[in-house]
Amino acid sequence: MSLLWLRVAVLLYGVAALAVLPAALYNRPRWRHVAVPCAVAAVFFHFVAIVETLYAAHRALPVDAHESASWFGLLLAIAFLGLAQRYHTVSFGIVLLPLSVLLTIVPAFKPGTETLSYPLIQQGWLFLHVALLLAAYAALLLSLIANVLYLIQERRLKQKRPGKGRSWLPPLETTDQIALQSLLFGLPCMTAGLLIGSVVALQTIGPSFFEDPKVLLSVAMWLAYMLMIFIRRHSGLRGRRAIYLSSFVFVVVLAVWAANQLSTVHRFKTP
Amino acid sequence: MLMAIQDTTREQPQAAPQTRNSSHGGSPSAAPARSRLLLVGVNHETAPIGVRERIAIPTSRLAEATRKLVEQPGVREAMIVSTCNRVELLTVHDPASASEELAATERVMRFFDEFFQVSQAELKAHIYERQEQEAVNHLFRVASSLDSMVVGDAQILGQVKHAWNVAREVGAIHSAEASDPPAQAGAAHASSVLDPLLQRAFFVAKRVRTETQVGSSNVSVASVAAELARNIFGSLAGKTILMVGAGKMSELTARHLIQQGANTLLVSNRTEARAEKIADGLRTPAITTGIIPFNQLHEQAHRADIILTSTGAAALGGGAIFTPANARAMQQRRKNRPVFFIDIAVPRDVSPDVNKVDGCFVYDIDDLQEVAVANQENRSREAAAAESIVKAEVEAYRERLSLAPAAEAIKQLLADADATRQQELAKLTHRLAGQPLSPEQLATIESAMKAFAAKLLHPQIAALKAAQKQRGE
Repeated sequence: MSLLWLRVAVLLYGVAALAVLPAALYNRPRWRHVAVPCAVAAVFFHFVAIVETLYAAHRALPVDAHESASWFGLLLAIAFLGLAQRYHTVSFGIVLLPLSVLLTIVPAFKPGTETLSYPLIQQGWLFLHVALLLAAYAALLLSLIANVLYLIQERRLKQKRPGKGRSWLPPLETTDQIALQSLLFGLPCMTAGLLIGSVVALQTIGPSFFEDPKVLLSVAMWLAYMLMIFIRRHSGLRGRRAIYLSSFVFVVVLAVWAANQLSTVHRFKTP
Repeated sequence: MLMAIQDTTREQPQAAPQTRNSSHGGSPSAAPARSRLLLVGVNHETAPIGVRERIAIPTSRLAEATRKLVEQPGVREAMIVSTCNRVELLTVHDPASASEELAATERVMRFFDEFFQVSQAELKAHIYERQEQEAVNHLFRVASSLDSMVVGDAQILGQVKHAWNVAREVGAIHSAEASDPPAQAGAAHASSVLDPLLQRAFFVAKRVRTETQVGSSNVSVASVAAELARNIFGSLAGKTILMVGAGKMSELTARHLIQQGANTLLVSNRTEARAEKIADGLRTPAITTGIIPFNQLHEQAHRADIILTSTGAAALGGGAIFTPANARAMQQRRKNRPVFFIDIAVPRDVSPDVNKVDGCFVYDIDDLQEVAVANQENRSREAAAAESIVKAEVEAYRERLSLAPAAEAIKQLLADADATRQQELAKLTHRLAGQPLSPEQLATIESAMKAFAAKLLHPQIAALKAAQKQRGE
């Protein structure tokens, strides 16, 4: 049944992703009234699917890349709705909603078969660890997208080609605010997520967990994240340079993600 | 051809007889021989400003003028739209008192003479006249801003609404609330023609606004500048404007920016007294104003989010006021927060290279005009779609209007049938007094009688509608 809900969510994400194009690019409010409710419904069904899956499997966290991707897709869709509500812009949906579709379509039609018998799999702390880190990644991705949109809008204005009709891009200051607020939201999520993970790992694995490549990369990621926020706040970094910095941190995040293949801690094997 | 009335401008007197014939050809109303709806006016295309200003009616005198117009003999309803680009009198003439078609126009022309002391001869070359469907078409186009100097200008709809409100207040337009507009417009005894017509015009204008992009882009330099500022800052609430130099255009632009929410205005001018005067002129309770001495301009310019320059200092051999070096220093102080330079001076006050500095956006007068022209072209493209909407709405209005007399007849026919049905039902109930019917049985019989009447009348109703439509065409 959870798969059915997930497929319904994918379908609704797809409709929302298509409807958001005329809504944002051609400033058609009617399409906005299709995109946003579809995204709301998709998030609802997606959430139901995840809860049902976890409940049926008696666990509290995703066990494979497919499930993690699905969670990440849900967070991106929630981010889209949050932006639509807070900043009255659906432009981010042009990127976020197709990403949600892509991240959810594989788990919906080809679910992972991996099972896990790890003793801490039902622990709430691990759930928090995963959820907070995924939220931090989503915030970082959002910040990166905001920086790219900032750059496009900046170039458009610098080249004095404001285009025909209204711009589909949010104003520069709004985009900048979104980029910064996303980072500021992501920082406590990442910090808390890493701390929780460290405490749990310390208790179950012992001090050797710190030698794990993924853990080391995660610390590097946190430092890069901190550095980025510091630079942004201190020098008011915007546009091109902000993109470079965000991209660098994002590459670190991807490396952390990829490090799962090398990690013993995150593959739940005895070190 | 019903209502195929030609434009009977005064420059084309030969068109008048044709108009009359057309009108005779089949007005849908109960006054088929007379053209009851008349629009007479001048606009920016037909009259120079020298003429328009002589007959322009200030807002304070609009009520008085409307009252005088409706007091003209034979004028049943009236409304006056007076803007800087047009003065138009929309009137409905009582068919009973209209002895000949020209009389209606004469009555309106007499009003010009009496109210403005402008003779008919003086206006003759500039005035235009629209009747019936042409008047409806003209009104719909005006309300939708398709007849404006700047197509898509949003102000005109508000001005037409204001004229309508004033006319209603002085009793020159009767309210048509809770009535069927076409039926009213079509019936001879109708209480109002203008009220439903105006409401339809507002509906059409709204449709044009929502279904086309005719009014979506700005076409004046000041509004383009404000739109660009919004692209940079989003809301202008809380933003600071710095005016460097003086000039009508920069004041107008500053006003636009203030209307958009900017709440601090700094002025810097070589002559401090002039700067004070400008600040005073733009000061409102919601605006904080301040003066920056011209020799401290570069030290304090970083306080502004939008810098509006119009000194033309380069013409005096002073070179650009803002150079890339100034801009970089400013941006350091602003922590790279965007700053928008609006340079409307010729020669330019801001070096074009400032645009290359991160966070600085420079638009000179040519750039702004280029955007305005592009937007104007965009509006013109959209105007074609808007014209189609207006055309369809005029046709729909005409059709509904032409069916109105038939609607009256149909209404009467149905009322007669209903009365007969009730009589027959009463007789039946009386005859069966000894064996009273249950309420269910009574309801079934009543329903059957209704269905019978409807089926019986259907061909007649259809024929009435078809005949009316044919007469209309």
